[in-house]
Amino acid sequence: MEGLEVFENLAELVMLALVPYVLASQGTMIAGRTGIFNVAQEGIMLVGASIGFLAAFLLGSLWYGLLIAALAGGLFGLILAYFTATLKMDQFVIGLALFFTGLGFSTLAFKVVVGVTLQPPLIPTLQAVPIPLLHRIPILGPILFEQNVLVYFSIILSLLLYYFLFHTRRGLELRAVGENPKAADSLGVPVARLQYATTIFGSMLMGLAGAYLPMVYSSTFTEGIVQGRGWLAIALTFFGGWRPDFIFLGALFFAAVEVLALRVQVAGGILPYQFLLTLPYITTILVMIFAFRWARVPAFLGMNYDREQRSL
Amino acid sequence: MSEVAHTSHVRDRTELLIRNLIPYLIAVLASFAAAGVFIAIMGFDVLAAYETILLTSFSSANGFVQTLLKFVPLLLQALAFTVPLAAGKFNIGGEGQLIVGAIGTAAVGIMLADLPAIVLLPMALGAGIVFGALWAAIPAWLLYRFGINEILTTVLMNFVAFSLIDFVATEIWRDPAAGHPTTVPIGAGAQLPLLLSNPRLHIGVVVALLIALAVYVFTDRTTAGYEMIATGANPRAARVFGISVKRMFSFSLILGGAIAGLSGAIEVAGPHRRLIEGLQSNFLLLGIIIGLIAKGNHKAVPFVAFFIAVLEVGASATQRSLGVPGEMIFIIEALILLFILFSDVVRRR
Amino acid sequence: MDTILEMRGVRKSFGDVVALKDVSLAVNRREIHGLLGGNGAGKTTLMNILYGLYEPDAGEIVVDGKAIEIDSPRDAITHGIGMVHQHFLQVDSFTVTENVVLGSSVENPFALNLEQAAQRIEELSRQFGLEVPPDAVVGALSMGVRQRVEILKALYRGVDILILDEPTTNLTPQQVEDLFRSLRVMVEKGLSVIFITHKLREVLAACDRVSVLRHGQKVLTVDREEVTPEALVQAMVGDELDVEESLLFSDRSDTLAGRARTQAVAHPLVSVDALSVVADEGHVLLDNCTFDICDGEIFGVAGIAGNGQQVLAEALMGLKPVSSGKIAIAGESVTDCETRELLAMGVSYVPENRLSDGFLPRANVAQNLILGMQRRPPYSRGLFLDWKQVFAEAQTLIRRFNIKTQGPEEMGANLSGGNIQRVMLARAFAHPSRFLIVHNPTQGLDIPSAEFVYSLLLERKKEGAATLLISEDEDELFLLCDRIAVIYQGEIVGILERAEFDPYQLGKMMTGVRAGE
Repeated sequence: MEGLEVFENLAELVMLALVPYVLASQGTMIAGRTGIFNVAQEGIMLVGASIGFLAAFLLGSLWYGLLIAALAGGLFGLILAYFTATLKMDQFVIGLALFFTGLGFSTLAFKVVVGVTLQPPLIPTLQAVPIPLLHRIPILGPILFEQNVLVYFSIILSLLLYYFLFHTRRGLELRAVGENPKAADSLGVPVARLQYATTIFGSMLMGLAGAYLPMVYSSTFTEGIVQGRGWLAIALTFFGGWRPDFIFLGALFFAAVEVLALRVQVAGGILPYQFLLTLPYITTILVMIFAFRWARVPAFLGMNYDREQRSL
Repeated sequence: MSEVAHTSHVRDRTELLIRNLIPYLIAVLASFAAAGVFIAIMGFDVLAAYETILLTSFSSANGFVQTLLKFVPLLLQALAFTVPLAAGKFNIGGEGQLIVGAIGTAAVGIMLADLPAIVLLPMALGAGIVFGALWAAIPAWLLYRFGINEILTTVLMNFVAFSLIDFVATEIWRDPAAGHPTTVPIGAGAQLPLLLSNPRLHIGVVVALLIALAVYVFTDRTTAGYEMIATGANPRAARVFGISVKRMFSFSLILGGAIAGLSGAIEVAGPHRRLIEGLQSNFLLLGIIIGLIAKGNHKAVPFVAFFIAVLEVGASATQRSLGVPGEMIFIIEALILLFILFSDVVRRR
Repeated sequence: MDTILEMRGVRKSFGDVVALKDVSLAVNRREIHGLLGGNGAGKTTLMNILYGLYEPDAGEIVVDGKAIEIDSPRDAITHGIGMVHQHFLQVDSFTVTENVVLGSSVENPFALNLEQAAQRIEELSRQFGLEVPPDAVVGALSMGVRQRVEILKALYRGVDILILDEPTTNLTPQQVEDLFRSLRVMVEKGLSVIFITHKLREVLAACDRVSVLRHGQKVLTVDREEVTPEALVQAMVGDELDVEESLLFSDRSDTLAGRARTQAVAHPLVSVDALSVVADEGHVLLDNCTFDICDGEIFGVAGIAGNGQQVLAEALMGLKPVSSGKIAIAGESVTDCETRELLAMGVSYVPENRLSDGFLPRANVAQNLILGMQRRPPYSRGLFLDWKQVFAEAQTLIRRFNIKTQGPEEMGANLSGGNIQRVMLARAFAHPSRFLIVHNPTQGLDIPSAEFVYSLLLERKKEGAATLLISEDEDELFLLCDRIAVIYQGEIVGILERAEFDPYQLGKMMTGVRAGE
């Protein structure tokens, strides 16, 4: 029975680790589906983590933390959308600029509010909310139905996004914008409005993804809290072929690697721990070799659409 | 060319230069103004803060040398970003390349510590360059062979490098006397000669400036440099007209990696004389900011790098003397960048 | 007369370039109104304004007697205006039905409901004689079918005014006739059609009235019955061009024969033997093509766009790996040569898609002009480029090819489409080349510039150089070529000698019917 318990234990941890990947990657995907390639994930997640932590700490509720982190993320999304969809500036350059801004701002906000201290304030962690009856199913119950709300949210979000993108008119329009914005525009699809909506919504998800980290793992904010998860989320988006369903499955894999690297490290022995720490990054690089073969990327990803650009 | 035409040409040039500088001035002023509001809200003396930020570098010999020492890695990191950028590739891996370059220099400097400087110094610096280039060669190869986006791979390689330096500094050549993961010192022969001994200024400044000059000559005067710029301007068209763009992409990334590796080598052989975990500081981000503010123009990069070095040195002084958080300067730099980008749009209309 | 649409005093400039100067246009109900003019005359710009894609600087639009505001295609559709673009605006990865319904208003945007739409599309297809497979993915369809999809998109929205921008570009003569029949059906059912074209023949065959644009100004509007072809030609070109002397409007049987037809030397310069290109997925792009091009010959390749023309050009230029077969130039095998080597051998190339395949928008004009030549004297001295020389040459080329720019230092992105094309041509014609591959060389050029290109091509011929002219404009091919190969789905269906040139024969072959069948 011990093997089973270990498995259950690991599976629960994987579900916990899944959340930031799913949120940040679905956020990347949905904006990418309208042609906006957001590369500021790491910065937005840092802001989410910092602002989310501070709001939760100052206002005394994790809910406020999540809400404000999402709003802060949304603000970054708005700036990205304005500079790219409206001003038609290079998406990578603006994305990188927002990444720095997020990086600097997250630490600055924390220092301004908390000050430099060796004993940072702590916030409570998100508690598991068991779903009545379902959580009593053997094995699957604790893994799937005895988790915190953001785990449930990640699952439902992925399902909804899948349905929305592939089974609704709005979803069809949204995908058309990322494939051929001029065609969409010529039929009256509001290109810029959809780009704003997806970029803001996607960045809100990234803000949430960031806020999740102090609320589940560290109870406080540190500069290294995101640890490249934002960049990994971009890789995951390619791995998942820019589809909500595969992104969710891919996130399971990414989360499993993260949990495994941590577990083996705690168990100690076999390899220097530094090598285990590199596992998620190296795995991701290897996985990319596969992902770039099969991913069908939105045709207009990373490019700006300008209606009056003449020579095409 | 006739004398008259020549002078009018010169006047045009000066005019153009001034017209190009104005948006920069406005951007700097606007950023300082915006950040000033914030500093005032936090309850600090804005004017005193700005005075310290801008003048620390020029008010003492020590301040100026500190600025130059900061200038070296910033300039090299900026070039490590802008060289691939000329080919249209984003190298966000300068940090990892710096670290691995530093490891290379430290390894040679420690293992061959007894060799004379004339042999050891070139070997140590060379090792840094080669290690940095090899570290960048991995993303370059992945891009060449599988078409994998270089932004991702270069960034991820940074995280791998963090573990690598930790391993080297704690397991291989650990200095037991140091509290922080640090290696034993490199041999005297691997240390960069000094230009000044008090305050200490090593010749890395000269090396970095020579590299900047070489990069400028390469991109603006040579055939291969033209091909790199053509690749960046439109890879598809460059390919149709006979330029091997895949090779050019990889080459540009490896060249960037070599420059970043050199920046790591100089940090080890110059100011630190050993490998210290965290010696990369925030050079990568500042390098990218410098590259973007200079819009990839290799004539402008050294000047922007110097300006940012002044701000950075000034900001740490401000934190020490007035208690204004050092991260503030980061916001100012990001704002300058945003305003510069914004001025492009304004000009386009 | 019952006017459905009026545009009054429309003005539009792009940067410093004035595209339309006070253009007024009136279209009657239930007529096919031709909008005739050379490239760059402003026809498409005017219609893009009507369709809400461009914002006019001045002017008003009146539909059904009411002045209306059109800020976006959505507004245009609301006011019953539909447009079929020359370059189809379709999402390749979507099905026909998905493309047609895209953006149309629905009761519930959070459902899909495509079955009903598919039915409606089938109904419309029957009604107007525009057959399409509703469930097929658009990217896999032929140009002719995609054209119909494009028209159905407008009809599905119940438009009153339908604009067609150069709709015959991708059609064979037979398909053009079908299209004209469908247009008649539309007019009979109450629609009004605006038909943009630069081909006189089409206006004469299809339209009830004609408006002619030249240099962004409307020159005249007349009933087709009341005008002679000569008068229309003169209106199109103004007095800039002597129509009598023009190559473009010459009757090919006499004028050209004397001027251009020199005897092709029997010795072939370029020989292509059983050339095939197969894509990675196994799709055959070029199938067993065999032909020779002689010194002093202009060898044409005709076909509907997308039948392998670009693959052929790219295989010859070393850009697409050859799967089997041989290419030789002057007896020397170049099958596996890299592009760089071919350029060095004196092969030059004007790609079809000038913006993506030939131009550097973020480099200046001088840098653009030396692309592909950068390793050759006089531009390069070993490792270094001689910028002085480059700029001096650039000045000469700008003058000779009439490139409208502020100078060699101007950024490429500022140039207009026609001037970009001139840069492409200057690059290809600036230095002597033994073998030139040109793909749609006159696209986007106004009539005098097209004339200039034709004279350059004939000049080459006189000098005994070989040219491969790939074109979707059959008039151009008939005018210039010694022989024309017809390509269909990557296969050469047949090669016509000059004596056999005939539009209907060519049209049949373009749909895959072999010569003599």
